[in-house]
Amino acid sequence: MGNAQDLRGETLAEMLASRGIGRRSLLKFAIAMATSLALPPAIAPLMAANLAKAKRRSVIWLSFQECTGCVETLLRATSPTIDQLIFDFISLDYQEVLMAAAGASAEKSLRDAIAANTGEYLLAIDGSIPTRDSGVYSLTGGRSNLAMLEDIARDAKAILAIGTCAAFGGIPKAFPNPTGAVGVEDLVSDKLIVNIPGCPPVPEVLSGVLAYFISFGRLPDLDARKRPLAYFGATIHDQCYRRAFYDQGKFAKTFDDEGARQGWCLFELGCKGPTTHNACASLRWNNGTSFPIQSGHGCIGCSQPDFWDAGSFYTSLAGGVATGWRNAGIAAAVGLAGGAAAALTARSKTPRPPKDKP
Amino acid sequence: MKTLESRGHDGVVDALLVEVADLLARLIETHEEGAIDLLGLPLSPECVAELDRRLGVGEVEIKIDASGLSQIRETGFSGVWWTQHVDEAGRVIARLIEVAMAPRMVLADVEDIKRGRQKLLAARKNAGGSAP
Amino acid sequence: MTLLEIARGPAWQASVLIFIAGIAWRLAGLALLRRQRQFAAPRHGLPARMAGGARTMLTRFIPRRAFWPGIGVSVMLSATFHVGLGLIVFGGAPHILVIHQYTGLSWPGLPKGVIVLVSGVTLASMIALLIRRITHPVLRLLSSADDYLSWLLVFLPVLTGILLSGETVAAYDHLLALHILSFDLMLIWLPFGKLMHAGLVFAGRGLMGMKFSRKGAAT
Repeated sequence: MGNAQDLRGETLAEMLASRGIGRRSLLKFAIAMATSLALPPAIAPLMAANLAKAKRRSVIWLSFQECTGCVETLLRATSPTIDQLIFDFISLDYQEVLMAAAGASAEKSLRDAIAANTGEYLLAIDGSIPTRDSGVYSLTGGRSNLAMLEDIARDAKAILAIGTCAAFGGIPKAFPNPTGAVGVEDLVSDKLIVNIPGCPPVPEVLSGVLAYFISFGRLPDLDARKRPLAYFGATIHDQCYRRAFYDQGKFAKTFDDEGARQGWCLFELGCKGPTTHNACASLRWNNGTSFPIQSGHGCIGCSQPDFWDAGSFYTSLAGGVATGWRNAGIAAAVGLAGGAAAALTARSKTPRPPKDKP
Repeated sequence: MKTLESRGHDGVVDALLVEVADLLARLIETHEEGAIDLLGLPLSPECVAELDRRLGVGEVEIKIDASGLSQIRETGFSGVWWTQHVDEAGRVIARLIEVAMAPRMVLADVEDIKRGRQKLLAARKNAGGSAP
Repeated sequence: MTLLEIARGPAWQASVLIFIAGIAWRLAGLALLRRQRQFAAPRHGLPARMAGGARTMLTRFIPRRAFWPGIGVSVMLSATFHVGLGLIVFGGAPHILVIHQYTGLSWPGLPKGVIVLVSGVTLASMIALLIRRITHPVLRLLSSADDYLSWLLVFLPVLTGILLSGETVAAYDHLLALHILSFDLMLIWLPFGKLMHAGLVFAGRGLMGMKFSRKGAAT
């Protein structure tokens, strides 16, 4: 776990050099980040120069109402790769899963980190924040996450809401949301917030955002939902390798039919790719191993707000949320009753036809 | 006879070659370097192969081992380099056409040179060398 | 809630319920209409009358020769529109998917390119029919808000559908939301206006045919 004093010490270049990593690696990292962030390649030398001069940025990571999936995906490396370098560029001063300290000494680390880096630390948050009953449903060291957020966000330079829970409320917010869970942006309005949604998010997005922030001192361009445009500008549908099948009308009808075996489009099996913005169709998870569609399951829209409440994962976008036969029956009964009443009223006002022949 | 597909490739490859020519003109006039990020373009593997074939092979081939292998090859056109960066896990993290006198990564960095000189002097001192 | 979530969720549910209630209302009203008593003896027995009714359902598709010079063009345009709409609704893969999800029935769809072409032709025929309605003095006189509203509420789903298949005019989720919402609006209006002919046309022709048959008139 990083020492909060590092920020006043060596630059990143010096730190890397002391580990035998030269400027070429740094330039290579900058080129990879420029590609990842869809920046022009000419900017890489500038990024490398800025990264070299930068000091380690303090990051405080708070885990709230979460499953730890986001931490697992970001911090698990099957093999150390160059984009993991970014995690050497930050001083992760507090993170409950990784830190060796516990209890009171962990609390002290947190307080020391905040004090040493007031106004400069990045606050990374995963997990939603319960608000009902004063937030009693998620406590750390006896303190509610709600109170912690209010306290610790105050002196942060910017907030990274990591994962769909922190960004939009995620699974705890799904109906009926018994704990009153919300995302960070619903509680904090006076700080720069970057949402990095996904359930879990793609790790390269975090490293890209951090690299950009450390290189240029500001956050990359964000979309209307505060997600980095470089990674969330396109939909899964736009980048899907099965798109040709969609255009040709070749759809898998069940999960084990011939179409599924041939790798045809999963639209009819509920894929939400056309309405989901994320980078996973190109970057994928686990160092580019796979993503749901490649594994034969439709996209579930995990980087979109309230995706848990958007109907079944297996109902296609063409099919809406069903109203249910009971409601349909009630509607028919109401219609019949109303129609009959109107008709009978009209009948009573018109003359009866004669019963007998004239 | 050219297939519909290969004619499509030709169009994209032609457009990229025109861009390379423009970058070369800029290099000649203002010494400004340029690059085209091939991973950032929606190119099929066939397109990339065709582009590689049209650019051809030059006199220089460079391998750089810095946190994974990077391979730089001069194309058949002087000043135009085909660069591929790979990380330690073997994943391609960047593929570029660079237009420069020499690609930036090949050149030694001033800070690395300074550090290297200090290391050299320190090593010589430790080895007990006295005479210059 | 995003527009798409509303379109696929509450708007869809509400419009389907109003549609069901409206159909029930309309059918109840029709069932309870006063019937004129027939004092003359029927010319034909019931089977023959029913056959006459069935025949009328089909013979009315083609107008009598005497009327062709006046209405031939609009009949062709109308046929084009109706056939086109049928092909789109029952041949388009996403529509078959919706039907499958609610009824379990499914059949092979038409290629997307064919549906797009048919949609274009359908839209053109609808515009031509509208122009005719506006410019023809008698039609203009006869036309009411019901006619124009019914036209609009069918035009919008076809238009948003063709834009959605192109996917370039706007973001996919916006286009899909507009397509579903426009269909929802049509569903809400259908039971209450002239669009109801979609369900009643054959019943109406059939009943008229039975009546004529009873009198011994040609069907």
